[in-house]
Formats: sequence, C-alpha cells, structure tokens
Amino acid sequence: MTYDYHEPETVAEALDLMARHGEDAHLVAGATAFTLLWRQGLLRPGHVIGLRRIVGLGGITATDKELVIGATATHREIERSADVARHCPALTRTFASVATVRIRNQATLGGNLAHADPAQDPPPMLMALGAEVVAASAAGERTIALDDLFVDVFTTSLRSDEVLTAIRVPALAPGTHATYLKFLPQTADDYATVSVAATMRFTDDGEVADVRVALGACGPTPVRARSVEDALAGAVPDAARIADAAARVDADIAPFDDVRGSAGYKRDMARVWTERALLSLVEGRA
Amino acid sequence: MTLAKSTLPDILETPEWRVEGRDKVTGAARYAADITRPGMLHAAFVGSPFPHARVASVDVEAARKMPGVRAVLTGADVRPARFGRRLQDWPVLAWDRVRFIGDRVAAVAADTVEAAERAAAAIAVEYEELPAVFDPEAALAPDAPVLHPDAAEYTYLGGTRPPRSHANMQGHVVHEHGDVTAGFEAAAAVFEHEFVVPRVHQAYIEPRASLVWIEGDTVHVVTTNKAPFALRDQMAVTIGVPAAKIVVDTPHVGGDFGGKGLSLDEFALYFLARATGRPVRSVLRYADELQLSNTRHAARIRLRTAVDPNGRITAHQGRVVFDGGAYAAGKPVAGLLPGGPTLTLAGYRVPAARVEAVAVYTNTLPAGHARAPSQPQHTFAAESHLDLIAHAMQIDPVELRVRNAIRAGETDVEGNVWHDSQAQRVIATLLAASQWGGTVGLDHGRGVAFSARHVGRGKTSLTLTLAADGSLEVLTGVADQGGGAHTMIQRVVARELGVDVARVHVRRGDTGHANVDPGVGGSRVTPVAGNAAVDAARKLKARLGELVLTLDDAARTAAPLAVTGEGEQNEHVFGTYAYSVEVSVDRATGCFRVVDAVLVADVGTVINPVAVRGQLEGGFVFGLGQAVMEELRLDDGRVTTTNLGDYKIPTIADAPSLRLVLITDAPGPGPFGAKSAGELANPAVGAAIANAIDAAVGARVMSLPITAEKVRAELAKREGYAPTSPDGTADSTAGRR
Repeated sequence: MTYDYHEPETVAEALDLMARHGEDAHLVAGATAFTLLWRQGLLRPGHVIGLRRIVGLGGITATDKELVIGATATHREIERSADVARHCPALTRTFASVATVRIRNQATLGGNLAHADPAQDPPPMLMALGAEVVAASAAGERTIALDDLFVDVFTTSLRSDEVLTAIRVPALAPGTHATYLKFLPQTADDYATVSVAATMRFTDDGEVADVRVALGACGPTPVRARSVEDALAGAVPDAARIADAAARVDADIAPFDDVRGSAGYKRDMARVWTERALLSLVEGRA
Repeated sequence: MTLAKSTLPDILETPEWRVEGRDKVTGAARYAADITRPGMLHAAFVGSPFPHARVASVDVEAARKMPGVRAVLTGADVRPARFGRRLQDWPVLAWDRVRFIGDRVAAVAADTVEAAERAAAAIAVEYEELPAVFDPEAALAPDAPVLHPDAAEYTYLGGTRPPRSHANMQGHVVHEHGDVTAGFEAAAAVFEHEFVVPRVHQAYIEPRASLVWIEGDTVHVVTTNKAPFALRDQMAVTIGVPAAKIVVDTPHVGGDFGGKGLSLDEFALYFLARATGRPVRSVLRYADELQLSNTRHAARIRLRTAVDPNGRITAHQGRVVFDGGAYAAGKPVAGLLPGGPTLTLAGYRVPAARVEAVAVYTNTLPAGHARAPSQPQHTFAAESHLDLIAHAMQIDPVELRVRNAIRAGETDVEGNVWHDSQAQRVIATLLAASQWGGTVGLDHGRGVAFSARHVGRGKTSLTLTLAADGSLEVLTGVADQGGGAHTMIQRVVARELGVDVARVHVRRGDTGHANVDPGVGGSRVTPVAGNAAVDAARKLKARLGELVLTLDDAARTAAPLAVTGEGEQNEHVFGTYAYSVEVSVDRATGCFRVVDAVLVADVGTVINPVAVRGQLEGGFVFGLGQAVMEELRLDDGRVTTTNLGDYKIPTIADAPSLRLVLITDAPGPGPFGAKSAGELANPAVGAAIANAIDAAVGARVMSLPITAEKVRAELAKREGYAPTSPDGTADSTAGRR
C-alpha cells in the first residue's frame, strides 16, 4: 500500500516519468482528491508524480484578452487573486464556495479539473465563462475547451501522456453578468446537491445577446444547459420566459441518486436553481 | 472539627478550568492510539464481503509466509471465544458463519500496519452464501433465516437471558400498566402514527484504538473503552483469564457520544499477543468505524394514543421495532434492547399504557448504544405525534403539553410515579423565553418539543488521600471521555472541604489501581461519582474531626490520610427540558434553516458551569445533525456512507443561535443537588424542527433525517404539484402554479 513519490521540476521531467511508469503512475498536485481515493483503496498506483515543484505550472496572469491560471494555483490563491476578482467577481465567489479554507489552501485548479468530479464548483462556472485548458505532451501543446474536457465521472479527454498545465479564461464581453449558485440544503460544508453557473449579456433593447448556463452535480459530468440557452437567445428575458427556459434544463441533465438527493429531486432543483440564477442576472442588470 | 470556612467565592459559581484542559490544548494528552510498547506489532483483519454466509475455508498459508508477518489467526484458533457487553454472541473471529459485511474471519499481527494489511489481503476465504435478511420485520417472519442457531451456547453476563418468542429476536419487552382497553374505549379521540428513524453513528473524532500485551500471567489492555472495568469483566469471560489478571487502562478519550462502551479489537488482539508474545495494537480507520458496529438503532415506531375531549391522554400504546443488526453484543442492558426501550412518551402523565419493544437480528452491522439510547427515536415519534394530535384537536401545541406534562404524584408511560416534577415549570419558562404565540415571518414557523431523561443511577467508589504537602489526591476509575467528570470530582471535593480547587488533584487509575466503577454511561457520572466525591470529602472531614486536626495540621502530622468515598444513586428522578425552534422554509426547494432556538433545561445544581453549557449546546448540535443530515445508509447490508464526506455531521457553520435557560433551583439526587445533563438535550431536536416546519408551511415529515427533499415532497403533495418522478420521465413543469 505504498508508492514511490516523484517530484519533477519541469514539465518535461514529469512527461518522462509518465512515459516510464505508464498506467502505474498517477499525477497529483495538492493531492486532496487523490488522498481520499487512495485511503479508500480506490487508487493503488506504484508511482505518484507530484507537480507542485514545477515552477512554471503555478501563478495567475491577466491580460486584456484573458486570464491564465496555472494548473498548480490553489483554490485559495485564485479566491484571493485581485486579477481574478477584476476579471469576474462570480469566479472569486465560486472558488470561495469550495469545501473549506484548509482544502482550498491545498487543492489546485488543475487537480480539480483533471479529477473530473461532477459535483465540483469551479467546472460549471468555468464552462459558463468559456474557459479552456492547455494540455502538454511530448508532441507539444493543445487546448481543450472545458465543454470537451469532461467525459464521465472521474474521466477526462486528457490523454495518458498529457499534463494539464494551465486554464485560460477569455475576457468577458463588456456588460456580461455572471453568477454561481450552489445549493447546499443540509450542511454548509458539502458538495452541491445541484449547482448552476450562468453568464448573460444584454442588447441595448434588453434582449439576451449572449447566454451560457452550466450545471454541476447533475450527471456524470458538469454540463452545459444548451436547451436553456437556446430558449433564451434573442429573447426578452421576462419572468415567464425565464421560467420556461429553466424548465428546459431537464433535457440537458442526467442526475443520479446519491446521499445528496434522488435523481428526481435534483431534476426539480436544477430547474429551480437555473431559474433563480437567470433571474438574478436579469435583476442584476439594473 | 476546626476546618476553616472558606473565604473564597462559592466554587460552583466560578467557571471551571478543566483538569485535563492544559494537556489537551498543548498536545501533551495521550490517547490510546498514541501509546506504544517496545516490540509492538500491528493488527489487520479480514472481513466478510457477504452479509450472510458459511465460512467454507480460510487459507492463510500465503499470508503466513509474507515478510514481517508474525501471526495469522482464524476462527479455528479462537473458537469458541465470543464477546459482548451482556450477551456474548459475537465471535472474536468467525469460525463457521459470518453475519454482516465486515464480520471478521481472520486477524494478522505484523511488524507494520502495511505488512499486516498486505497479509490480510493475501488470505483466501471461501464462502457459501446464505439467505440474508435486512429488514427487521422480515426477520420476524416465521420462515425467516435464523441468524443465530447456536444461541443456546452464548454466555449471558449477570443472570439469565430473558425469553424471546422468535429466534431472531435479540430482546423483547412489553410494559403494561393501567386499564388500556378502558382508556381507549372512553376516549374522545384516538390517534395513530408511525415514524421511522435511521441508523446514525456517534461520529466521535477519535476512532477506536487498542493495545494488548501479556506480561507474566497478566493481560494489559490500553483502550478507548469508556468502561474499563466492564471491559475487563467481559474479556475475562471471552478469553478465559481471571479478571484479576487483566488490567485495563483507558487514557484520554477523544469523544464518545455513547459509542465507546463496546470494544471490538481487544479480544482478537489478546489472541494475537498470546500467539506472538509481543504487544499488538490496532487503530480503526474511520471507514471501518462507519461500517463495523455500534450505531444507534434504526427504529420503526408506531404510537397510538387516546385522549379525552380536552386532549388529556387517557391511554397509550406503542410498538417499537429496533434493528439490532447482526449481534446484540453492543447492548449492555439486561433486556438486550437499547436503554429505555419503552419510554415512548417521556415526561407525560399516562394513566394506562401498553408498549412493546423488540430488537431484531438482521444481516447488517451491529447496533449498540449512542447518546441517550432509544430517546432520539422515541422523542422524535412522541413529540411529532403530540403535535399532530394538537393540530387535529385544534389545541395549541404548548397547551396540549401543559395539559399532559407530568406533575408530582402522577404516573408516567413506564408506570413510574414521579415524586417531583419540574415539567410544568420548564414549559412555562419556555413559553416566556420563546415568546410563544408571537408573530413570525412568512414561511417561518415555530415548533416545540418537550422531553425527559432520568438522572443516572448506580454506584461507585473512589479514594481521597491527603498528602504531606497538603495536597489532596482523588484516585478514580472513571474515564473522562470529554464530559468533564474529573473536573466535576475536583470541584465537588474542593467545595465540600472548603479548599481551593488547585489543591485537589484528580488522577485516573487503571483497573489494577482504582476502585471498581461501572464506567461512563447512563447519565450516571455526575450523580454517582459526584456523590462518591462528596462522601470522600465528608469522611476525610470526619477523620480530621476524630483527630482534632485541621487539614494543614493533619497533612504535617498524619499524612498520608486516605479515605474511600462511596456514591450511590438509585432514586427514580427525571430531568425535563423543552425546545422552541423557529425555522424558515424555502417552499420551492424544501430547504429550511433553524433561525432561532431556545432550550430550557432542568439540570439541578450546576457543578461545572462551562461544561453544562457545553453539554447542552453540544447536545443541541449533536441532535441537530441526527435530525437533519445524518443517516448511515445501507444497500443490501452494505454501508454506502463510508466516509465523513458522505456521512455528514454539522460543522460550526451549521450551528444556529441557541438561547439556553437553566433551571437550577430544583435539587436532584447528585452532589449538592445536581442532576444529569449530558444526554438531556439531544433527543428532542428532531421533533422540534419537524413541528416547526409543519407550522411554517404545512409539511409534516415522519422520518429522520428531515431533509429538504422530504419537505419538498410533502409540500408537493399539499400543493397538488407533481415533482419529477425519480426516473426523470415526468414533465417537470406539470401542474406548476
């Protein structure tokens, strides 16, 4: 029940270790998710490759065009980053809602995304913000839209020879409103029963110019609610229209029963919280 | 007798410093898992993957040859050793049959935890599956599989096992008093309701840990068990070693909440220590804590109550089915039911009652004791039931309780006559403190719940020694599991002797040194050990009187001077308490928040003013967790909430404000008039919240935990709104307002 721990100092070294140990290797950064799985016996790698010493993988930089968050930036760093707050206050609040400060001090965004837990908070918000990740391999770098990253529970489209190195969040078009709502009916320290992230921009006539909605904890992956988006595109978002659009979320999600609620309840709550998220954006416009 | 009267302020008025507090906050305190011995080995176990199976073969050859492995034992090596607090029905290692997922069939001692676990994983066990039963009612069917065909072989400690009418019953009791038939016939109305309460875990921070070694002919045990003398006596029977040759030592205990009275590993560790000649330690992983044993019993409770036109109870019937799990070993009480099994309407006048309670074997992890056994189940049922009666009779819920709360001279549901009762005062105080009947906001509601718990009974003794330096030392066998027992003893002795508390040192002794004590539990420590502390101080004063010496002179000329204090409490006395809780409910989601809570508690004289608040506030939060979030879930006998990420307990962020009003001037039978407090506050929280939610939005939840989903489902029924069906096929907008 032991493993060899490696601490590469460059991405190239990490890729080399991955090539050498193949399936027997597991990447970690903060290792919060890994530790839980390992202690339950669900992961038994012979080699664990820690990425935290790779200097270039950390940090947060902002330009006019985008926000770039290094894969090993912790949730707490992102939560406290002035650049992130300037870029999108809802993103700051999303990171502040993850677990507890002790976890946020340790857990990294790259680890979060690569872990692909469908109930995590940042993925739906980053999806609604149109984020993409950068994946490096011996063959070079490629970018993957967040919409295409999540494949199944704990499964991403990252190849086994790739390391997630950064997350790029494009600058929001002026006038875009964003929100993240996390439904925590039992205890403040929990995964969401459902969560909804949404961004919306309006034309001068008050019509919806652009809308993106994504949900967490509503199926095997975080999901875009394209049916909801389609129902709102170009519409004047009054309460009735929003209620109608929110009800269409049912077509986009595939929740399952767990300790946080039955699938049926989550469907019901996905509608309620989608409606609330959209209403808050419309009301927040003033 | 020339002892000077103290010029200090009354010790009991001064907030206490915990005697163990400094060690705990500095990290000096040592817990069972901190203790090591030279040459110590580590244990690992092999558990059954099947809920019910015959053990066909166990192949340990590969495991025995693995590096670092010092012993591998199977059921054949320990047969016929079984353990248990009252009924010894749990094989130390199963030799013919496993009865729940996790039931142990082999044990390993190795140089490291990793080596032990590797070896355990290499043990090959062949099972032949047997039909399993998970539902207690199904287990009581005439043709149900019998879990314990060898029950006649089991040792029952301290008497004869009470008779049972079905082989799958662990314990069965029927209480009856008064003319129940006449009470129902004369009633103006009869109400019947059924309630369901799930298994919950005590969720202490410190997992069970134990260390066993043999020195000469003496077996040494370091344990997290809060009743070391009881463990010693249980072990003596299980392992066939005289109690005098077993020394049990319980260091600091990191939380109990009723769960640390049952030991699991100590028995197997003895056999491993004997096989290896070395000390062997085991520290449970939390996943094992949640899957192996001693949860609170799940219960199905059906209550039927007859009332007169004014809502006064004329007769009551109850049927309570407890899911006892695979073994009765966790239950210390004679009837092999959780304590207080028939106390279905605690604190009320019940002229006639017939209450039947049964604990049933199922192929699930064994249930045991948890803080105020039976009472969270019963109080949720009873106080919800009474609210439903009040609603139907159009009587204010508090008024209904005033009309029925027991007064001195009246008989309670178990047929006991109360010689004193603060029930009316508790309710009147709650009315005033909560401004009951005042207005609340939209979708807010207030609920009330009232209940009672006995002041602990039993006997113990401790020794008090005056040393030459003038200090006083108490030696007690009471383990302090966090309740503040040692501080209580210190303050009682200091006050009785009129000396500064700093002069009194409390030392806990293992079973080889301290006087016999029944252990922490049953709300007995303050009334019983506290009375022993008073008695010791009085005996020392009497001794000084005989010697015509002051304490200081006696220290100089007669020390060491030792006395034994005896404490006994057998009076039938109850403390009563009541909650008013205000909730706000989000109708669209069913989500609710407790926005205000008031607790009035009759605790008698307060010995530890900080700890009594801690016990009551902590009891409220503990009760809140079991009311609204905790449920140990099982799927075909397999626990699915195997970590504290899925088995949620409250954090401080979940704790609402609580206003606490103590009634302290009605003396109880404990030291200086103290009553018990540690198990007083947790049972009634669930009903208070259920009642508040119903008052707020008309949604009645009949099972714990009260989740937002359940509230939403009840609201949907009332609104004629069809929520999406679990398979997701229904149109989620159907019938929307």
